[in-house]
Amino acid sequence: MASVELRNVWKIYKGDVEAVKNVSWKCEDREFFSILGPSGCGKSSSLRMIAGLEEITKGEIIFNDRVVNHLRPKERNVAMVFENWALYPNLSVYENIAFPLRARNMPKNIIDEKVKAAARFLDLEGILHKNAQRLSGGEMQRVSIGRAIVREPDVLIMDEPISHLDASLRARMREELKTQVSRLGVTTLYITHDQVESMAMADRIAVMNQGEIQQIGTPLEIYHHPYTEFVAGFIGEPPANFVDVEVFVEKEKHFIKCSAFSFELNKFWSKQFDSKRENRIRMGVRPEDIGISFEATENCCGLLVDFVEIQGDRTIITLKVGDQLFLSEVLGDIRPETGQTIYVKFNQDNIHFFSLEDGKNLFFDAEMKS
Amino acid sequence: MTSRNIVSKIIGLIIAIGFLTIILLPIVFVAATSLKIPLEIRTSGAIFPQGGITFENWVKAFRNVPLTKYLFNSTVVAISSTLITLLIAIPTIYTVVRFKTGGAVLPSLILGTYVMPPIVVTVPIFAIVKTLELQDKLVGLILIHSMMNIPLAFWLLDSYIRNIPVELEHAAWVDGYSKFDTLVKIVYPLIKPGVLSTGVVCLIMSWNEFLFALILTYSDASKTFPIGISQYIGEHGMQFGEMSAAALAGIIPIYILVFIFSKNLVEGLGRSGLKG
Repeated sequence: MASVELRNVWKIYKGDVEAVKNVSWKCEDREFFSILGPSGCGKSSSLRMIAGLEEITKGEIIFNDRVVNHLRPKERNVAMVFENWALYPNLSVYENIAFPLRARNMPKNIIDEKVKAAARFLDLEGILHKNAQRLSGGEMQRVSIGRAIVREPDVLIMDEPISHLDASLRARMREELKTQVSRLGVTTLYITHDQVESMAMADRIAVMNQGEIQQIGTPLEIYHHPYTEFVAGFIGEPPANFVDVEVFVEKEKHFIKCSAFSFELNKFWSKQFDSKRENRIRMGVRPEDIGISFEATENCCGLLVDFVEIQGDRTIITLKVGDQLFLSEVLGDIRPETGQTIYVKFNQDNIHFFSLEDGKNLFFDAEMKS
Repeated sequence: MTSRNIVSKIIGLIIAIGFLTIILLPIVFVAATSLKIPLEIRTSGAIFPQGGITFENWVKAFRNVPLTKYLFNSTVVAISSTLITLLIAIPTIYTVVRFKTGGAVLPSLILGTYVMPPIVVTVPIFAIVKTLELQDKLVGLILIHSMMNIPLAFWLLDSYIRNIPVELEHAAWVDGYSKFDTLVKIVYPLIKPGVLSTGVVCLIMSWNEFLFALILTYSDASKTFPIGISQYIGEHGMQFGEMSAAALAGIIPIYILVFIFSKNLVEGLGRSGLKG
């Protein structure tokens, strides 16, 4: 078992393409750590450097207390589950799982024992002698995990391991993977572009964008207290809404104002804006934090309904905010008409304000304290 | 089936038969000539024997010229040079594709040697072989044929290597194999069909090679089959009948080989985009 630490790691490809920029994080021993980001954010480059498949341009990668920069993949004792599973097509399931053990010249009887134990663990006993090409997606998935865990690696790296499966199988595999990995108690790095997977499985998540770490935290921290506008927009489905607003003070009260609405801020935010005078900022609010009513109440804003999407258990309402659109998610029995004006109230416990310059959450520290 | 389908099928069949006739006619002609009475060959222009069939040409072909020895030499040269070619070409193309060895220069240099007419290098090659004292020896010819075929094998194998998902190799590295072991245990089994068809093409190229065999071999100990064919012109006059018999004896093994591997060959050449 091992902890994995990246210290100021850079990956620069030919032609000055900066894939990973000064990334530092530490995944503790036995932690399920997920790297989450859109494609091209540098998450795959990061993991390939950790596995030893690619050279590190600058910085250090440390397993426990040992710098592994110059170790070859086989010397790092990492195991990998690939996006396309990378099963050896000319071999049977048994041989695929036995492959890493054979590479270590283990005696035959021990190989047999270990392969059978892994097969029992992953419920693969019935298909051990099938050719690896003749398996279903879910079976291939399990075989590739079997091959990864059979030699008891220090670190298990999974690169989008279930993104090739269809939606219903994916939901089941999320659960299955999480159970299997926690039973094994192995340090796991899980790379994905799907925030649902990260949220559902990881102990902690590192959100990456354009080669940089945006935020590292537990799923709930990241969801409720995004450090940057990118994180707020990337996590959550439907995504968060953003609008540029102005803050103004009138009779010692703080107000938020944009072209489509204005409302009064609560005490918490008033205090924040007292200590930090920002004028033009961007407000972010999640669809479920926009409450609606059909009649005007105190401190609410009237908005025009642009579109109504009925999903049964919930209704997604698209609202016109100036020339922008806001999504609001409400219970399924609330169904306004298109073109109707409804009255919204933002849940001020869960709104965020971001800097227009660097997209950072202006009051991240205060949010975390409250 | 509609009548339009039938018509297009018939037209296709006619075109195919036409092509086959053009391609096969010389071979049929050679086969027929090998069975004709020698006098008839000189006097009649007909394709098929008019005055009866004889095996005289076949007997004489093997008696007057040490054809068996030539065929044996050709076999040794073709098989050895093909093995050497594959042994060098497989690791080379693998490193060029996967690790970009030699950048863009190496692949174009290799292609350059392939498109160059071989006659351009006959003099230097003769000088090199002579310096190494390998002239008139099978080893010399084996090396030259390997050298000639490596660029060809290189380009035929290219698409096979490219089609292997790179993750398979990465998985093998992570699983504890060296790059060489990965090539042998993972990559090689996957490109085996390509290696087979490339091998057959190299065998044929070496078997049919005339130019270098002509300048590098002078005694019966090292002459190959194509040089043997040319022996029927000369001291015994132009022996068309014997020559035809010998030619047929030489192409039959190749036909059998191609027949056995035809499925592999069609697929392999189709994939490499190196048709015709």
